[in-house]
Amino acid sequence: MSDQSGKHDELVHPAARPFLWLDAKWLKSSMLWILLVLALGFAAIDLFHHRHEYVHLAETPGFYALWGFGSFVLAVMVGWFVIRGFLGREEDYWDGEGDQ
Amino acid sequence: MIEALYDVSPAWPVIIAGLIAAAVPNHYVRKGLALIAPVLAGFLWFNVPSGVHTGGIIELGGFTLETFRYDGLSRIWGLIFIIAAFINALYGLHSKDRVGDASGLIYAGAGLGAVFAGDLLSLFFFWELTAISSVFLIWGSRTNEAYKAGLRYLAIHVLSGVMLLAGAVIHSADTGSWAFDESLSVNTLGGFLIFLAFGIKCAFPFLHNWLQDAYPKATVTGAVVLSAFTTKLAVYALARGYAGTDMLIWIGAIMTAFPVFFAVVENDLRKVLSYSLNNQLGFMVVGIGVGTELAINGAAAHAFVHIIYKALLFMSMGAVLYRVGTVKASELGGLFKTMPATAIFCIIGAASISAFPLFSGFVAKAMTLAAVAHEGHYIVWFILLFASAGVLEHSGIKIPYFAFFAHDKGHRVREAPVNMLMAMGIAALMCVYLGWPDMFGIPGGYRALYNLTPFPEVANEYPMWTFDHVVGQMQLLLAALFAFAFLVRMKWYPDEKRSINLDFDWVYRRALDGTARWGHAMFGRLWASIGNVLAAARTRMGGRLFQAFSPMGAISRDIPSGMLAIWTSALLAIVLIIAYIAP
Repeated sequence: MSDQSGKHDELVHPAARPFLWLDAKWLKSSMLWILLVLALGFAAIDLFHHRHEYVHLAETPGFYALWGFGSFVLAVMVGWFVIRGFLGREEDYWDGEGDQ
Repeated sequence: MIEALYDVSPAWPVIIAGLIAAAVPNHYVRKGLALIAPVLAGFLWFNVPSGVHTGGIIELGGFTLETFRYDGLSRIWGLIFIIAAFINALYGLHSKDRVGDASGLIYAGAGLGAVFAGDLLSLFFFWELTAISSVFLIWGSRTNEAYKAGLRYLAIHVLSGVMLLAGAVIHSADTGSWAFDESLSVNTLGGFLIFLAFGIKCAFPFLHNWLQDAYPKATVTGAVVLSAFTTKLAVYALARGYAGTDMLIWIGAIMTAFPVFFAVVENDLRKVLSYSLNNQLGFMVVGIGVGTELAINGAAAHAFVHIIYKALLFMSMGAVLYRVGTVKASELGGLFKTMPATAIFCIIGAASISAFPLFSGFVAKAMTLAAVAHEGHYIVWFILLFASAGVLEHSGIKIPYFAFFAHDKGHRVREAPVNMLMAMGIAALMCVYLGWPDMFGIPGGYRALYNLTPFPEVANEYPMWTFDHVVGQMQLLLAALFAFAFLVRMKWYPDEKRSINLDFDWVYRRALDGTARWGHAMFGRLWASIGNVLAAARTRMGGRLFQAFSPMGAISRDIPSGMLAIWTSALLAIVLIIAYIAP
C-alpha cells in the first residue's frame, strides 16, 4: 500500500522524488495567491506600457487578463450547468446499443 | 538528388511497407518496415527540387491521374505527415499487432497520397483508403464498443468518399476538369458536395461526432496515429480548394468554441483530447476562410505544430492507459510520482497547445489571430480569444492536472516503455524547438516553421516576438490559470465523475436509430396485417369458388334440362330485342 505523500513509498520513481513537494498542501493552498500575483503583475504592465493592437478594445489596460478570466469561468459554468446539467447521463447510457 | 525518383510520391514506400507488413508474421520485420518507410518517404520529400513540381502521372482508363504534386501547400503537409508516421512507428514499437502495424502504415501512406494528389480521382482513391485502413486502428481494441464505433466511423467516412466522388463527377461534367485546385466553389452543386465531403472529415459542427466517438475507443497507438492524419488531411483539402470561402470563418469559429464546453465536463481524457482536437481544427478552418497569405500560413503552421503536440498529448494519455488501464479522470491522479517523464512530456504538450510563449502553439496561432483581426472579423477574433482560454482549460490544465497531479489515487505503476518515452521525447523537443525565438543573433526554431509555410516571405515579415504579443498572451493565460485555482478553491469547479454527456450523435445513435427500429417493427406488423387480410380474403374467395364450382357447388348441381331451355330462350330474346332497338 502506498502512502499519499510518497516520501516513504518505495514504488515512487527515483526521478520523481525531488519533486514530491508538488503534492504538498502548502503549495496547493498558496497556488491561488501565486497565480493572482503573476496575473496582476502582467496586467499591471499595461499601466506603464501601451500595447498596440488591431482591435482597439484590446488596448484597454488588463484586457487580456479580464478576457482570460471571464472566458475560463464562462467555459466552466456553461460546461457544468448546461452540458452536464442537461446532457449528462449515466456512464452505461450507451450499453446494449444496437443489440435490441 | 536522384532525378529518376523525382516523380515518385513519398506515399508509395509507406503504402507498400504497409502491404508487406500485412503479410509478414515476424514482429521485428514489421517494426523495421514501420521505421524505414517514413525515412524513405522523407528522402523522397527532400529529393524533389525546390519550387513547384508535378509528377507521378498515371494514365488509367482514359483518365490522367496526377499522384505527385509538390508545391508550397503540399510540401509542409507532406513533411509533417512523414514526421508523424515516424514518431507513431517509434511509439508503437512495443505493440505486437500485425493488423495495427499494416493499417497504420497504409493509413499514413494514404494520407500522404491524398496530400500529394493533383486531381480529384487520385484524391478520392487515397481519401477512401484512409477511411478503410484506419478503421482497423479502432477495431484493434477488440471490444464491442470499439467494433460498433468503428462501424459508425467507417460508414461516415465512406459516405464522405462517396460525396467526394459524386461532387467530382458533377464538377468535371460542369468544367471539363478533374483538377483538384482552387477552381472548386461552394456555389456549384459539385463543389458543394466536395465541400461537404471535406467538412465531414474535418469534423464540422454537427458532422463532428465520429471523432469523439471513435478516437477514444481506438488502441493505445491507434489513437495517436488517428490524431495525425484524417482531420489534417481535410484541413489541407479545404486550404487547397476553398481558401477564402467566407462561410468557413464562422464554421471555424463555432468549431473553436463549442467543444470547450463539452471538454470541461468530460471524464474520459482521450475524449477530452478529441474535443480539443475539434477546437484546434476550428482555428485552422478560420484561417482558411480568411484566405489571406498570412491566414493560410497560420493554418498551415498551426496544422504542423498541432500534429506534433496533439500526438504528444495522445501519446502521454496512451502511456497512462497502457500502464494504469484507464484514462478516466475520476480514476487518476498523482501519476507524476511513478511516471515523471511522461508527466513532463504531457506538460510540454499542454503548454504548446495552450500557446505559452516559447512553445510551438504560440508562434502558429498568432498568425491566424492577427490575420482575423487584420481583415476586420472582430467578433470572430473575440471568439478565438475565448477559445484560447478554453484550450488552456481542457488541454492545458485538465489533462496534466487530473492525470498526474490532483488527488493521488495510489496508482503505483511503472514508467512508460522506452520506445514510448523516445517518441514523446522527440515530439516534446519539436514543441520547444519550433516555438524558440531568435536569440543572440541566432535564428529561432520558429523560423524553420515559418520557412516551411506556403508563403515564407509573408511569414518571416510577421512581427512574431513583440513585447505586446508576449505580454497579452501571458495576461490571458495567467488570468485563466488563476480562474482555475479560484474556482477549485471556491469548490465551483465540477467534480470529475463517471458519466457521459450526450452530443449530436444522439440524433443518429438514439433518435434516428429508434425511429428506424420503430419503422421496421411497424412495417413488420403492417406486413403481417396485410398478409392476414389477404389470407382471409383468399380463404373467403376460395370458399365461395368452392361453393360455386366444386362437384358439390351450385354450378355443378343438376339443373333440369327444361329450365336450361327456358333460360337459353330468355337470353336469346334479350339479344334479339337489343339488336332490334339498336340504331
